Amino acid sequence: MRFTLNEEQTQLQDSVRRWVQKNYNFQQRQAIERSAEGVSRAHWATMAELGWLAAAFPEEVGGMGGSTIEAAIIAEELGRALVLEPFLACGVLAAEALNWCGTDAQRAELLPAMLAGESMVVLAHAEQEAGGEVGFVATRAEQTDGGWRLHGCKNAVIAAPLADRLLISARTAGEPDDTHGMTLFLLPAAHAGLVQREFRTTDGQRAADVLLQDALVTAADVIGDVGGALPGLRTAHARAIAVLCAEAVGVMDQALWTTRDYLRTRRQFGVAIGSFQVLQHRAADMYVAVEQARAAMLRALAHIDDEDADRRDEAAAAAKVQVGRSGDFVCGQAIQLHGGIGVTAEYVIGHHYKRMLLLQQLLGHPEQHLRHLAARLAQNE
Amino acid sequence: MDFSRDPADEAFRAEVRAFLKAHLPAELAARVKLGYHPLKADTQFWTSVLHERGWSVPHWPVEYGGPGFTPLQRHIFEEECFLAGAPVLSTQGPFLVGPVIYTFGSQAQKDRYLPGIRSGAEFWGQGFSEPNAGSDLVSLKTRAVREGDHYIVNGQKTWSSEANLADQVFFLARTDPDAKPQKGISFFLIDAMAPGVTIRPIISLDDGHSLNEIYFDNVRVPVENRVGEEGKGWSYAKFLLENERAFSAEVPRNKRYFARLRDIAIAEKRHGAPLIADPRFAARMAEAKVALESLEFLTLSALYESGDTASARPIGSVLKIRGSELQQLLLEMTAEALGAYATAFYPEPWAERTNAYPPGPAYAPGAVGELYYRRAATIYGGSNEIQRNIIAKQILGL
Repeated sequence: MRFTLNEEQTQLQDSVRRWVQKNYNFQQRQAIERSAEGVSRAHWATMAELGWLAAAFPEEVGGMGGSTIEAAIIAEELGRALVLEPFLACGVLAAEALNWCGTDAQRAELLPAMLAGESMVVLAHAEQEAGGEVGFVATRAEQTDGGWRLHGCKNAVIAAPLADRLLISARTAGEPDDTHGMTLFLLPAAHAGLVQREFRTTDGQRAADVLLQDALVTAADVIGDVGGALPGLRTAHARAIAVLCAEAVGVMDQALWTTRDYLRTRRQFGVAIGSFQVLQHRAADMYVAVEQARAAMLRALAHIDDEDADRRDEAAAAAKVQVGRSGDFVCGQAIQLHGGIGVTAEYVIGHHYKRMLLLQQLLGHPEQHLRHLAARLAQNE
Repeated sequence: MDFSRDPADEAFRAEVRAFLKAHLPAELAARVKLGYHPLKADTQFWTSVLHERGWSVPHWPVEYGGPGFTPLQRHIFEEECFLAGAPVLSTQGPFLVGPVIYTFGSQAQKDRYLPGIRSGAEFWGQGFSEPNAGSDLVSLKTRAVREGDHYIVNGQKTWSSEANLADQVFFLARTDPDAKPQKGISFFLIDAMAPGVTIRPIISLDDGHSLNEIYFDNVRVPVENRVGEEGKGWSYAKFLLENERAFSAEVPRNKRYFARLRDIAIAEKRHGAPLIADPRFAARMAEAKVALESLEFLTLSALYESGDTASARPIGSVLKIRGSELQQLLLEMTAEALGAYATAFYPEPWAERTNAYPPGPAYAPGAVGELYYRRAATIYGGSNEIQRNIIAKQILGL
């Protein structure tokens, strides 16, 4: 085991941090948020050029042969600046889903363009009723003469309006929470019967509800095996959760240090407010919370290649819970310690709280994961 | 960063398990698992068993008799010992004064004291806190006045854990009352039976006895019993306290608490179903487990970052805060799970005042007493409020 970054990982971290510092201060971010697409396509191209999209993927699909650790390093730095380009949605979740569900031919055909930033794909999987449960899909794929007819609704698909293709899960057999019968289809964004209802998320990202209104698909659109998508999707979700947690650690760690700087400069009663013990202790508790979150995230990474998928998923779920608890506390108290300026839109600190709230909802709310872990308590060990 | 696993670590775990199975008597493990204050004979016996195997000071450098474990091996070793119900090594010798002696002590002190700590032959007591010097330890008043080849020591120490079992005592005393408080303190070792040393019990909330007062009344301490330089005692004490905190997440202990809680929650029925099937109780348990697993990984990261010395950043304060809070949470939940049996007083089985009718199942005794005792966990080793001061000052620069 080794907890410190090796030389290449340090270089990667430095490179992302430098790029973020140069291109992503809060004013620059807000300008991107107000642009037509809500992201910078130029930035996305740069992220691909610098190898960030390819870092965690094997060389045979155009990757750089790294691991999820590399993706986590990148995400943490992007989280610090509340970056808007969809690294998690496209660069991790969709790419991992294709990598783990697709056939070798499909992986070799599709992933290189995605990792090169030329094709933007999102995973349209989560449904409101699933409540973050990976195995629950109500969207139906009904058999037709030449293939299937998709009907259902995918909720709050981050970056869907930006994507040229959507990877859609639907049930070719069985009931919504059956382990078999889930199938992935890759469709162009402009497919007949695929309707996007676009909206802005609370933290300024672009998303959509994806409606499938009798969209006709054929066997050529299927990714991987008919009815066999769940194991690969679970793997992709575990990896995406670990990376999401890394992003959240970046979000909260930056909130902590921004707050620390404010405590040192803001003066009341004739002194820097950081000299008050009650605020020192609050800040210390924030630090403790960040360290716990980071440890939980690293633990999820340590289990990411476990052969026992239940163990792997439990570590990811535990990280989502710990990161959620820590993030709520740290980002909430960051506002509190700033006082009034913390609740203004023009100042950055409240935006950390907004991103954190979004991350809570994605890939299963902490409470959903906690229910899972609680139910398994009596079983394991 | 690399979390790939070494098969050698699992082989090591199997080796430790086999050792425990072969050498740890079942009745001893059962007694330890109840959670009462350890009997000296038990701790001594087990330390000697470990010593024979070369494992009695798992965190010491090899040159002083440590086994040369990697941080992960040490963690595995401690976890397996705890879960099996092995007596815990005495904190005072192996963890506190031992590292001070091998780091700052004279060759004669190393030769005289380290073997007894390693083998468990000699137990130690701590004389740091005083009635008016707790969190503000540096204001301590115990005086050591040089007279030829001796120091004459007068003063009072308190909260001395296990001093009632001690053969030797390490303590801080003021050698220069005129210097700045931090500069006038020295670090001493003295035989617990030396003339003028009186040790009196403090009975804690659990009706147990591990805490003590130590009185020094014109105690003659030979000069060669001073550790390191005169006036440097405060820096040795800080080294000791930082070391103490590095292990203070108490992950193995917390794991044992969690395992007991889980066993009880499975055995206890409410409305005809095991308590662990109650969604609210199970969710709270799961949340505690998440905190425990995070703490474990944080501890490992601290161990790997720092090797076997105190951590470069004072991460020990973080571990101490969360580790102690978690002990209390798990013990409170254990009391809750015990239901009616949490109301009964279960004296230590070897206590003079027994309880006529100790009710309930075999897992009932011990836990509530342990909860009472571990209320001190957020106070000893530097209160959690002091730990927050340390984080605010040393890490956050406030």
